[in-house]
Amino acid sequence: MTTRAFAVSLTIPDNEAFTALETVGRLGIPAARIARSDIWLFEVDEGATAGLRDAVASIETIFNPNKHRLVERASAKPEPGEVWIAARDEAPATLVGGRAIPGVRAIRRRTGWRLYDDEGRPVPEATLARAVETFLCNPAFQEALR
Amino acid sequence: MSARVAVLVFPGTNSEDETLRGLHAVGLDAALVHWSQPDALPHFDAYVLPGGFAHEDRVRAGAAAAHEALMDPVIEAAQAGKFVLGICNGAQILAEAGLVPGTGPLRRPTAAFAPNASGRFASLHVHIKLAVAPDRVPILAGIEPDAVIPAWASHGDGRLAAPPDELARMARDGHVAFVYADRHGTPVPAANGSALGAAALVNRAGTVLAVMPHPERDAWTFQHLGATRRREAMLEPSGGIRLFACFARALNGRAA
Repeated sequence: MTTRAFAVSLTIPDNEAFTALETVGRLGIPAARIARSDIWLFEVDEGATAGLRDAVASIETIFNPNKHRLVERASAKPEPGEVWIAARDEAPATLVGGRAIPGVRAIRRRTGWRLYDDEGRPVPEATLARAVETFLCNPAFQEALR
Repeated sequence: MSARVAVLVFPGTNSEDETLRGLHAVGLDAALVHWSQPDALPHFDAYVLPGGFAHEDRVRAGAAAAHEALMDPVIEAAQAGKFVLGICNGAQILAEAGLVPGTGPLRRPTAAFAPNASGRFASLHVHIKLAVAPDRVPILAGIEPDAVIPAWASHGDGRLAAPPDELARMARDGHVAFVYADRHGTPVPAANGSALGAAALVNRAGTVLAVMPHPERDAWTFQHLGATRRREAMLEPSGGIRLFACFARALNGRAA
């Protein structure tokens, strides 16, 4: 069994990221841009990874080519400068969009966030942590993964 | 003179008219306050946050609204002891603002109305039963012990969630104001998977109440499935209006 991660982000304006930017700005957190992606984690049998990307790309619940970009991540962990928000009590699913994917045993979903400064660089770790603590994560039922 | 109540309208609120109608029906001087009018809020005696999808529930239900300027005077008023009632999305906003259960710092939530356990939107008729002593909820003056109120659950994020120690504290200190029940008042498991069977949370002082199901959607008989077609009967008040009547009694009792 191996875990594969896919990031799905919008190619059209992301209103949710914009609202997040407005809110963290109101909180006095310096960020010039926020990028959001849906992170899909698939626990898949070793022998069934070959067709996984195509299978994921064919499920409209996850990916719509008219408005999404689909990237397979090198690892199933957040990249530097990124935080994943997950529900603490999330039960892994076996179906997505009502469909099973051959070889996939469990499916989990996260929301990935990245904050950038006005020169396009990732914000310092402390700034990202502040955004997480004050807004992006509700610790009552969520956890922030880095 | 009747107490003045502000019904807040966030971008995406969709239940303000029914809520306003319910407040008017119990004799309150209520008015809508648009999100662009935070300066108008301090002049009101109480606040109602109605249902809907403030800011499309982006990031989390109620999260963006809890941090916007419209909530600043509401939080200040709640701290001063003014009554604040949140219904559905309003309840989610109050939780995100830290006003219920009110056991942590402001805008640092210790509980949440999280996505339903089913992962699906729930739309069903429910009953909620008062789960605390009436004197624990001064915001609902005159509510009878074990009162059962009909309402419509209409939410995708209505499941009370919190860490185990916080849930224990909420149960111990009477923060769960209402639980889901059948029409006779026997508690039933929450269809949304809500911890403690909770349908509503109240703060420590009993002045801020967050109710997930909509009493204003069962406030007149015409809102019932299979409602009568006789006009007079359609306009008769239904059980949900009782919650507003208690709210009005509490407010007018303060004003007197």
